[in-house]
Amino acid sequence: ATDSCSKMLKYRCSGCMAVGKSLNSRNFSKLLHSCSYQCDRHKVIVEAEDRYKSELRKSLICNKKILLTPRRRRRLSNEF
Amino acid sequence: MFQGHRGWFCRSVSRDLRQFWVTEGGTICDSQAADFLFSCDASHPDTLRIYQSLDYIEDNATVFHAYYLSAVANAEIRNSVALGHFILPPACLQKEIRRKIGSFIWEQDQHFLIEKHDEV
Ligand SMILES: [Zn+2]
Repeated sequence: ATDSCSKMLKYRCSGCMAVGKSLNSRNFSKLLHSCSYQCDRHKVIVEAEDRYKSELRKSLICNKKILLTPRRRRRLSNEF
Repeated sequence: MFQGHRGWFCRSVSRDLRQFWVTEGGTICDSQAADFLFSCDASHPDTLRIYQSLDYIEDNATVFHAYYLSAVANAEIRNSVALGHFILPPACLQKEIRRKIGSFIWEQDQHFLIEKHDEV
């Protein structure tokens, strides 16, 4: 994939070029990430989404920890 | 054109566009089973649920603006429309993205698409 990406025109990356049946909501993000060249539009969108995802991931892990730590749980149940 | 594809539609998507999907051979199913996730409003609760899902966090779910379907309907060569231009990012990111790259393609096309719909 990387080779064909680099051959693409200046402002069109694989995210722009990919047309047709194989693409969908399940593989699109991975396709963009695997391409070494991203056009400005896709780069900005991917960067923003990646940041959003990593924040979500962090907050998920945090939530889990809070729920799983027994002492914390006890404290919570005393408080309420 | 969409034969064999399963689509999920946020309730923000108009009936016309869902109908087009079905007419073209697509089926409609829940978000877990779908290959295609369509929405017209990133802040709609249906779509927000996708953005908070594990699938989304793990890069297994991209939401596309359902105007992709009207772009396909209006294109001379139907499979020439690039799906990748219709990514719909979470609403909280849109302002920042717009500042960097200008308006989204689905915003630019909106006028034309709405006009087209009124005629039908
Ligand atoms: Zn691109």
